[in-house]
Amino acid sequence: MNEKKVIKSCCKGCHGGCGVIITVENGTVTYIEGDPDSITEGTVCTKGLASIQHIDNPNRVKYPIKRTGERGEGKWQRISWEEALDTIAGKMNDGIATYGANSVCIAQGTGRGANRYVNRLARSIGTGNVFHPGYLCHSPRLLIYGLSVTGYGRLYCDYHGWGGEYPKTQISWAKQLEISNADGEMSVWFLKALEKAKNLILVDPRVTALTQRATLWLRIRHGTDAALALGMMNVIINEGLYDKEFVTNWCHGFHQLKERVQEYPPDRVAEICWIPKEHIIKAARIFATETPGTIQIGEPLEAQNNSTQTIRAIICLMAITGNIERPGGMVCWEPPDVGIIEDFAYEVTIPEENQRTTIGAGSYKLCTARTCHADTVIKQLKDNNCGIKVFHCQQGSPLNWLANTKEALPALLNLEFISVCDLFMSPTAEFADIVLPVAHWLEHNDIWNMHPRFYVAAINKAVEPPGEAWGDNKIVLELGKRVAPKYWWFKDVEEMLDYQLRKGKITWKEFSKMGVIAKTGEEQTYYKYKMDGWRKATKLPFMPERKMTGPGFPTPTGKVELYSTILEDMGYDPLPYFKEPNESPYSTPKLYREYPLILSTGGRLPYYFHSQYRQIPWLRELQPYPITQIHPDTAKKLGIKDGDWVWIETPRGRIKQKAKLFKGSDPRVVTAQASWFYPDQPGPLHGLLESNANVLTSNDGPFDPAMGAPTFRVLLCKVYKVEEDEND
Amino acid sequence: MTKAIFCDIDKCVNCYTCVVACKVKHMSPPYPVNPPLAEPKGINLIDVIQVGPEIHEGGVSQSFVCISCMHCADAPCIRSCPTSAIYKDSETNITLVNRERCIGCRSCLWVCPFGAPSFDVEGKLLLCDMCIDRIKECKKTACEAACVARAIITATPEEIAEIKAKKASQRIAQA
Repeated sequence: MNEKKVIKSCCKGCHGGCGVIITVENGTVTYIEGDPDSITEGTVCTKGLASIQHIDNPNRVKYPIKRTGERGEGKWQRISWEEALDTIAGKMNDGIATYGANSVCIAQGTGRGANRYVNRLARSIGTGNVFHPGYLCHSPRLLIYGLSVTGYGRLYCDYHGWGGEYPKTQISWAKQLEISNADGEMSVWFLKALEKAKNLILVDPRVTALTQRATLWLRIRHGTDAALALGMMNVIINEGLYDKEFVTNWCHGFHQLKERVQEYPPDRVAEICWIPKEHIIKAARIFATETPGTIQIGEPLEAQNNSTQTIRAIICLMAITGNIERPGGMVCWEPPDVGIIEDFAYEVTIPEENQRTTIGAGSYKLCTARTCHADTVIKQLKDNNCGIKVFHCQQGSPLNWLANTKEALPALLNLEFISVCDLFMSPTAEFADIVLPVAHWLEHNDIWNMHPRFYVAAINKAVEPPGEAWGDNKIVLELGKRVAPKYWWFKDVEEMLDYQLRKGKITWKEFSKMGVIAKTGEEQTYYKYKMDGWRKATKLPFMPERKMTGPGFPTPTGKVELYSTILEDMGYDPLPYFKEPNESPYSTPKLYREYPLILSTGGRLPYYFHSQYRQIPWLRELQPYPITQIHPDTAKKLGIKDGDWVWIETPRGRIKQKAKLFKGSDPRVVTAQASWFYPDQPGPLHGLLESNANVLTSNDGPFDPAMGAPTFRVLLCKVYKVEEDEND
Repeated sequence: MTKAIFCDIDKCVNCYTCVVACKVKHMSPPYPVNPPLAEPKGINLIDVIQVGPEIHEGGVSQSFVCISCMHCADAPCIRSCPTSAIYKDSETNITLVNRERCIGCRSCLWVCPFGAPSFDVEGKLLLCDMCIDRIKECKKTACEAACVARAIITATPEEIAEIKAKKASQRIAQA
């Protein structure tokens, strides 16, 4: 009998939440398409669409397994869920009893929907050692928007026109929202708003899909973004183009900022950034006068040695042009009635002592508000001097995302116990002691609540998972019951979902049918700082609890803090500044002679999400091997032809990628693609050391002083052809 | 109701969603053709071709062109096919393939000015069918529905001409 059903759900192919319609016939997904009635209007991307081949993939992990040989030897034995969970919980409980809660580390990769479960699990056992790449991706902007402007909220570009205006000038800064990464659901809104925008200013070292549409393309030298923002402010302030009403009434520290930007006249900034002076002045004038405007920022700003002040500088640029909280500008969206689902994690507090002794806490004060400092952990593990004994990786593969793979790999193996949950045998899973099988988003129920905050959506189970795979939420719940039953009282996942939805006075079953709860259109409030309530409703980060009332921003001064009193209290510079990258022609001229090209490891493809999806045939066939873009003039000098395999080498090591001759960047620069490994190659490494750009990145400081971010997006390298006999 | 697929090359953002949406539509189970892992090039009934970038004084020129079967009115592939395996749907004028009749001679590829024909593992012709079942249900094609940049439009030639004329008028008015 042919049984056919159609299910509405929310795609989790990236962080995003595009509405999808799934057709299931006889227990198999036979079609996925965008839901035209959803908030994303039927648009989807390659990653979500190819989920059909993801769930049916023969290489899925189907059962809990434990290691029987040496680590990485590939000898496994199937075990029951009970044995697996009892073993992991036993290791955690022993660690807590013997060494304290901080000896247990809970890890994840990029946010794949389990963030709040991972964080609640860590907090429920009392460990501050949460381990994930957030400190160089997304956490910086959240924390710094928070301490400068919004308290606990976020700033998003108003592409929606709910306040009657669309952005007249859009800046896309180190970001390709149209094709890549975390905020997939936003790309349709971005592109629609772009149709209405008068100006598009791109800040990018290379040509992207939108460059030919840009009013102005600022081809910036990697890692100099803070200088550009400060230089634009120099023009805006000195020419009197700033929003005087907003600055006078709603900004703190304008005079100090004015003084600081005098260090960044356009002449100097032009030299630092390799951008013509006229372009800097023009960009500043456009952004200050053609308002409202938005700045969509990307991760490369965060994965560098000066991430905090770079984002601070960009926030100051948004603020002095009066673009904060106005329609068509940068807005902190209010969540719908269900509230912020993430509170599921943060309602659990951890002992102050454990927070204080989170690894890296003395040094990187913003980083350790959310996680431990991963690079310090690796250094300690390398020296066999690390307090972490038990490492539970709920999702992600640290061996892929950590800087300096060749050092991270042996260091991680010094851990006493490693458990990994994954859909596939990632390189990290291959070295684990226990591996747990995870269900795909098409295979379990959950609540989607991510970046823009103004809506939550139901991820509805469409098909049964293969073998005995469980959703992340169920794995964490069953583990939580064994290590911290006080916080994991839920009978089952449904009860746990009901609990997360309780503020909306709705059950999971009702929500599942409804699909989406949103706060959009006229329900959103602009200019929140002019009214009572925003300050009262918001808890300040990094500050003792205090009562705040009256109008204003939820910051200590009640204003947008151009001069950050919170950073000042922490001992950091309260004003933004530029710092030369750790490796550059100017900071390390000697190194530059040996490694004469600037390397970005940030190349992204629309059909892969970080290290994910290279085992999906429909996606892998679009580009089977990694590509490094190199300017034809440079390639010619090096004897490299289009399509040649080339070595890219830094002081940490070398990797192979295929050269693509590309006129769209400076001849002094090459762009390698990030996150490559080859799931089809044999384990345990699956080619991890062959082409993964993190073999090239450095886990030595100096890191960003507050976020602890290592530098991923600007290094020095040399490039040379792979000889034929090396390629066998 | 003759329709054409139109790609607005100023809008396309090179995301390949059309390519994969097409695979999902035409190659999902129970369709027999699943390309093996990491084949150099899978079967794409629609493809995105990048032209450029070229950098010059005035700025950057670059385009992305989605290419699939153009469903030509007077299609050379139909004329060249020795077994009459390629034909026009009488209602929609969409070019279709009778798989049973196709002998895999590839003469259609010789004569197609767009390089549109693809061949499955048995060597038989695969061609964009403009999602004929969806078109007949008045739905958008899979590629158009998914296109995040709204660069792909399936419409009658008259409608497409109107869209282009509107765009040109705006440009002229703003100049």
